[in-house]
Amino acid sequence: MRFESSRMERPEDSARVVGVSVCDSAPLLWRVEDLRSVRRRGLVGALLGSLPRSPRQNCRMGRPLLLLPEEERLLGESRTAAAALPAPRQDGAQLELRVRRHEEEQQRSFEEQSVLALEDRKSSLLCAMTSPDTGSPPEAGAMDESLQRRLEDLDRSFVFPRSALGVQLSTARAGLSYCPEARAFLQAEWPIRGGQNGLSRDTKYQVFRDLRGRGFCLTSAGKFGGDFLVYPGDPLRFHAHFIAVCLAADEAVGLLDVLAVARLGSNVKKTVLLCSPAEDGAVTYTSLQWSGMV
Amino acid sequence: MADQNKAEIDGKFYSEILSPSELFAARSRSHKLPVKGQKDFIPDGSEEQRRRLDQSLSEHWSLISEERVERLGNLVKAKWIPAERIVELQSPAGKFWQTMGFSANGKQLLQPEEALYLMECGNLQVFSQDLPLSIQDGYESFLSSSSVSLQQYQVFGHLKRLGFVVHRFDPSLEPSCYVRQLNLPPSRDRAARQQKRKRSPSPGTTSRTRPEHQDSSSADRMEEEEVQEGHRDLSEGHLSSTSSAGPAGRGRSWWQTDTPQDQSDGSAGSSHTHADRRPSFALFPDLGSKERLSSALLPPDPSLLPGGLEVGTCDVASWRKKINLREVKMSSKEREREEDRSRRRWDVNRDRQVLRCRNWAEYRELLSRRERRSRGRQEHLWNHEVTPLHDPRQPISTEELLEKITVTQSTNLLEGASSIKEWDEWRICFSVYQPDTVADFRKSSPGKPYARVCVCSFDGPVPDLRAVKLLTFQSGDVPVVFAVVDCGDLSFYTFKDFQLPTDVYP
Repeated sequence: MRFESSRMERPEDSARVVGVSVCDSAPLLWRVEDLRSVRRRGLVGALLGSLPRSPRQNCRMGRPLLLLPEEERLLGESRTAAAALPAPRQDGAQLELRVRRHEEEQQRSFEEQSVLALEDRKSSLLCAMTSPDTGSPPEAGAMDESLQRRLEDLDRSFVFPRSALGVQLSTARAGLSYCPEARAFLQAEWPIRGGQNGLSRDTKYQVFRDLRGRGFCLTSAGKFGGDFLVYPGDPLRFHAHFIAVCLAADEAVGLLDVLAVARLGSNVKKTVLLCSPAEDGAVTYTSLQWSGMV
Repeated sequence: MADQNKAEIDGKFYSEILSPSELFAARSRSHKLPVKGQKDFIPDGSEEQRRRLDQSLSEHWSLISEERVERLGNLVKAKWIPAERIVELQSPAGKFWQTMGFSANGKQLLQPEEALYLMECGNLQVFSQDLPLSIQDGYESFLSSSSVSLQQYQVFGHLKRLGFVVHRFDPSLEPSCYVRQLNLPPSRDRAARQQKRKRSPSPGTTSRTRPEHQDSSSADRMEEEEVQEGHRDLSEGHLSSTSSAGPAGRGRSWWQTDTPQDQSDGSAGSSHTHADRRPSFALFPDLGSKERLSSALLPPDPSLLPGGLEVGTCDVASWRKKINLREVKMSSKEREREEDRSRRRWDVNRDRQVLRCRNWAEYRELLSRRERRSRGRQEHLWNHEVTPLHDPRQPISTEELLEKITVTQSTNLLEGASSIKEWDEWRICFSVYQPDTVADFRKSSPGKPYARVCVCSFDGPVPDLRAVKLLTFQSGDVPVVFAVVDCGDLSFYTFKDFQLPTDVYP
């Protein structure tokens, strides 16, 4: 069974390298372009941060994007991810330069915004003055005397307070992108993060890679008692069909565990998939479906 | 919304910085979230589906790429101090100060997780080395496994966004059950009245409460001990009086006469017809009983009397003449019944078999023979070393019987919890307070938390009974909630103590 994710992958994007920054040994993506390119490869991840537009809710989250260990490994293997450069250490003259530049930029921004604010005020004044009088738009040059005077007053006395200055709180840190020479260097230093028992990690990774190769999107499924939730397409548009539980081929599974996970699956209307990778890399899938009373 | 700046000299410089015109235009941004539509079941390659997917994705990207823009006047300035891992406010705090942050050395400080949360909400701008930190800088600098881990911050942020007040948990500042039971007033001035109730400082109180008590508590303790002694004397005095009345008044067998024995030993004041199990401080003699009492009442214990009062013996003969004067008119049947009641029914001497016994040994043998026969078929059960738990002919309440036959003892969650030593793997991270108390919340006296949170992950081990006991004990009477982090998803679990109901009434 194979699902084609039609507009997911574009050939020119597959070569793009994303910068993975590590925070407390977790792989995070901060830049929008990185998130986009990773999504195009069918990797969903999980958003952790507050959404800038509406920070006090938990339904829709914002950057950073946390990658599953399997996603990180997949990106690493296809050479499309590299460790992002850490924050550059600043000291002495370089630091002073940066501080001065920041202050200058803020001053420039303040001046520009003052101009824009004045223009905005003028246009709103125009709208307020002209619309109640007549329905017809004002002719060029045929402005009222008082209106003219008002506008001149505004020019003279308008003050844009510093406190009204719009300031950006950047999400991602500005920094270098990757020129091809630097990419090789960065990938050589790809951190190999161990994690827990390597065998179970390998099993999960092989299942992940196989399912992703067939066009499914996978996210974590701890809440559903399994390893992955399997979507037939992008999770934004489709419901998950399967709960994948990864087992090594020679791992013994108790019957009660199988019953428990089958029950769980039937309660949430998803099919449970028991996945076991074989020696040659092919993965065997067994689905559990509650058939009801005979 | 994101803007790619012009390339710098040394390669492609990527930044998502907004131009001043974009910053200005941001004031008229919408704050509404697009509604998530219905999902499809299966991809069918149709154009309609692709269009909808594109629309969802573009909405998604526009939300994600939006940068935070705030008025400079709305932002509180702060400084990150890496050495102490603390954020120091440099301009006056806003509304968040009511529930977050703390003061020290005259400065307003925030914990790193609180500062990062406020940064994400767009209320705080943190500077490090005079340069503003981005959110990414904040995550990388503030979060580490040694102070607040990423998983703990996820839980913190989730709960804060729901509106809860979340504070770090410090087990050493936790008052013990005893201190909480005393319900001391939060004021620093501990009135002497309150101290009288305290018998001794509990081992759980922190050192800051003890020096306040030391000077005045010793005097109070002495006073209290006197009162206690007084109480003890009283009860002793009365115990002795009851014990002397014991052989006389208590436990009469059926072959004793109704009239009590001689009360001339002087405890007439405390005679009563039936033994009182509970020692009472004043025993009132029954002057109306038909029993023969001496006509004088002894004076009561001087400790019962208000100070300085002297009371002599009381002559009650004249009073007794005045009571029980009316003859109760009973019908013949009632009279018969009264006589019947006062008559003894069974005289052991009338038993023929007993008459045949010539000595005590024979009598005892007769008794044991009778007992054996009454056992009936179960006789053999009682002959050996291992006997039945209970003789069915003996009266017993259901509760006691169940207790006799029970195999396992029921226990509660906190049993043995105080002796468990702490260990790093499981510890409580946060105390969580209800959101509706935010208006009256006082950081100095937060009150009892709604729950305490321990952060763990699905990758890690499930808490075993030992961990649950330890955490429940540390938390006192506040429930412990396990927040399990699963790569961006959070689940909350709690263990509740449960006693199997015993549907038995004695």
